[in-house]
Amino acid sequence: MKATEPLRPEPATVLEVITETTNIRTFRIAFDDPALAESFSFLPGQIGQLSIMGAGESTFALSSAPSRRGSFDFSVMKTGVVTSAIHELSAGDRVAVRAPMGCAFPTDDWKGKNIVLVGGGIGMAPLRSLLFYLLDNREDYGDMTLVYGARTPGDLCYAEDRRDWESRADLDFAATIDTACAGWDGCVGLVPSVVEEKAPSPENAVAVTCGPPIMIKFALQSLDKTGFREEQIYTTLERRMKCGIGLCGRCNLGPKYVCTDGPVFSLAELRELPDEL
Amino acid sequence: MSELVSTIQKVLAETGLVLGWSATGAGGVAAPERFHTAEEAEVAIFDSTCVHNLSVHLPRLKGRAVGIVAKACDARSIVELIAEREVDGDQVRVIEVSCTDTLDVKAIWRRYGYGALIEDDGSELRVNGEPVEREAFVQAKCLDCEDRQPATPAGKPVPSGSKPANARQQLREDFQAMSVGERRAFWREQYARCIRCHACREACPMCYCRDVCIMQTTDPHWTGGGINTAEAEMMQLIRVNHLAGRCTACGECERACPVGIPLMLLMEEQNRAIEEMFDYRAGVDPEAKPPLLTFDIKGDSWDGE
Amino acid sequence: MKFISSEKIPGFLEALSARSTVWAPRELTGSGGTVMFERWRPGDPIDLEHYSSLSAKDVVLPRTEKLFGYTYAFGGSPFSGGLGASGTAVAASDSDQAPATSGEQIVIKPAEPAPSTVLFGVRACDAKSIQVLDALFNNPGGEGYNDPQYSARREGLTVITLACTTCDDACFCSSFENGASEKAGSDLILYPVDGGFLAEGVTGKGGELLSEPFFEESELAPPPLAETAVIEGLERLQEILPGLFDDLDFWERVSERCVSCGFCTYGCPTCHCFNIHDEMQGDREGERLRSWDACMFALYTQETSGHNPRPTLAHRYRNRINHKFSYYPENQGEILCTGCGRCIRGCPAALDIRDVLRDALKAARKE
Repeated sequence: MKATEPLRPEPATVLEVITETTNIRTFRIAFDDPALAESFSFLPGQIGQLSIMGAGESTFALSSAPSRRGSFDFSVMKTGVVTSAIHELSAGDRVAVRAPMGCAFPTDDWKGKNIVLVGGGIGMAPLRSLLFYLLDNREDYGDMTLVYGARTPGDLCYAEDRRDWESRADLDFAATIDTACAGWDGCVGLVPSVVEEKAPSPENAVAVTCGPPIMIKFALQSLDKTGFREEQIYTTLERRMKCGIGLCGRCNLGPKYVCTDGPVFSLAELRELPDEL
Repeated sequence: MSELVSTIQKVLAETGLVLGWSATGAGGVAAPERFHTAEEAEVAIFDSTCVHNLSVHLPRLKGRAVGIVAKACDARSIVELIAEREVDGDQVRVIEVSCTDTLDVKAIWRRYGYGALIEDDGSELRVNGEPVEREAFVQAKCLDCEDRQPATPAGKPVPSGSKPANARQQLREDFQAMSVGERRAFWREQYARCIRCHACREACPMCYCRDVCIMQTTDPHWTGGGINTAEAEMMQLIRVNHLAGRCTACGECERACPVGIPLMLLMEEQNRAIEEMFDYRAGVDPEAKPPLLTFDIKGDSWDGE
Repeated sequence: MKFISSEKIPGFLEALSARSTVWAPRELTGSGGTVMFERWRPGDPIDLEHYSSLSAKDVVLPRTEKLFGYTYAFGGSPFSGGLGASGTAVAASDSDQAPATSGEQIVIKPAEPAPSTVLFGVRACDAKSIQVLDALFNNPGGEGYNDPQYSARREGLTVITLACTTCDDACFCSSFENGASEKAGSDLILYPVDGGFLAEGVTGKGGELLSEPFFEESELAPPPLAETAVIEGLERLQEILPGLFDDLDFWERVSERCVSCGFCTYGCPTCHCFNIHDEMQGDREGERLRSWDACMFALYTQETSGHNPRPTLAHRYRNRINHKFSYYPENQGEILCTGCGRCIRGCPAALDIRDVLRDALKAARKE
């Protein structure tokens, strides 16, 4: 992102649209300026603003592997005016992007630790980027666990990635759905209860959870039961944002702005902030 | 203890909440209050500085019992809110106060400075101890009020030959003399200073759509988000249309406007048109329905068959 | 000090308007006495007697400003006229992985450059408020955010302040360190004296104006400045307010008069929250605009899901007070209020922010 014009997005083009679920699509995007496309980099947890001129701009987690050069992904759930317009996009369509923004997961601090990722629904987007990063630097981290859940098999994103994650010996991965259904021979149960069953050790570990608020709430209880302390648990927050650079005044939690001080917060940090989620 | 205070206290025993006024505003003028206890209610007042239409709070308090001190004009808003089912008539206890007129406090303060001491015994108005011409500082709506001037129905122009009592009435007379083109130019000049703060909407008891108002939503995206003359004009036309047959002419939109746009000029014209066409005034009968909600051309030029 | 007679003011402004856009306060016709800062042209009246109904913040933060324009254009070939003042071409990606461009290219056009502006006749509180906003928006070359458009307007701005020798019941600038003698944000200060004004240059930009022929030497002493009502301990609110955050009863009580009209924010010289929105002009062209917005509106924080982290008026009012007296001081080192009193004078519901602040200080003492 150009430091001098933080509110002006850069033209970009949709390379590919991947249908994840009935209402989630992943958009693979590249900046049009070849130099920018090549130099663009981000860290897991960071966010970006995707613009469709005339419809407006919305904030999304960067969901691709930070190591992938030349393009990046936004996974978008269709909910409102801008996201509906985004869902109309197909390969070759022009958009504009401001990225990266916000702070990343403190992956450097986690080196040598065991990592537990707990994701639900579209909340897998930032965790996907994080997981790619961790797997790219696999030797820096200890045991790795991922619990990813959705209501039905059709609500689980990233089918191709999941096949890869399932085949890996260095990742303990469980995909789960809320209730049993025909054609699903995997794990069945709510994400928090699967976490409790797996009972990952809190010893020398961090847990990262992202998903719908109700899932986060119960996942935190499960992690608490498992022995994780507040400073070992991280999450990413979502708020209505406009500027994305700490000016416009919407996304603050007390004096902290989700767009610049976040979106990544440890539970210990959140406890210090006013409860205004 | 004044009769008003004891009435409020009686109502409080039933409702637990009464909307009224105390004299805690700047310079000792009235400020809206919520009384919860008999003790709190001891400071209740009613005088000519009680300009606010407290019924604006009722939709937000929907579902709970509430008493409200109201002038005759405020009571019309309450009746209209009941008619529109935004307020449950069984839950509201109206404490009607008799009123001769209310003051344009803002105009007094613009002339004499914010907080200047206003004293009014009902006939003589004094500012900072000096007598001032009363009619120059009375709200224009009060000069036209049926209770005050029974011969002049609300909104009707001041009969020719009689001099307008204050500047606001003069403005209305000037406006009514304008051609359509002149009116258009007049409004464009007025709307040019609109900052789109939405005070007109928020101060209006009938504008209870608030959080889903199409002047701000992007879905539907019927007005732009820019702050300019064209958007302000669009916004006011939407507002006026949406209040057709519903406006009780309390004038709070105009009083709240921080840049002094005479919003009621247009509303008054519409109110008069509706009265002439449909013989209907909003806020008179809680069982009535605004004519534009019930308008049916059956039996007119087209019978619907 | 230098002196300028009242009669020479129009000539002075005319000379300034020959090289800059001049803004001055004036009573608008048919407005029931509304005084606003408006573009001044020779012959226009000026109202230096009344306080302006709105602040002059439009000068640095316009009500609506164009961030950039955009055009959709067919074609996959590189073409010019795109990014940045230098006109760097917007090139279609020609790498191997780029698909055939079925969509239209977007050309992003920069906003217009900022004019040179003179703001005439603001009071010390309003001049100070510009400096308060500078802390967030204007950090050229320094740490912190620098808003290119704000910064360009600020660079071209000269502020000529009218010192206050009187005040009204809504003023409370004396609650702040320097009160009516605050010089921050001013380039030149005019002190009213018999027949005209004594003039003091505060910055180099302001001092230079004193060499204009409208000014003469004077032996007169500057007049005593106004002393307003004072709220003691405003700076303590930064520490106190977090402790009151969860007391929603308090916030409900202090905001119960509020009808959530947006005036206190729109009229405030320091409130700066904004919206960003696209407006199309026809099918192919449009603008991305930044417009004033207000934290007192529900839609301001309402999320697409319908969830609102500040669901009631009390929640929103709490954020407004906290932003001004706790968050902004913590983040920017300045209280986001200068005691101008506009939110008090203009409130249709007689809500006085000073009562709220006093209540907060009192509530803290009780604990």
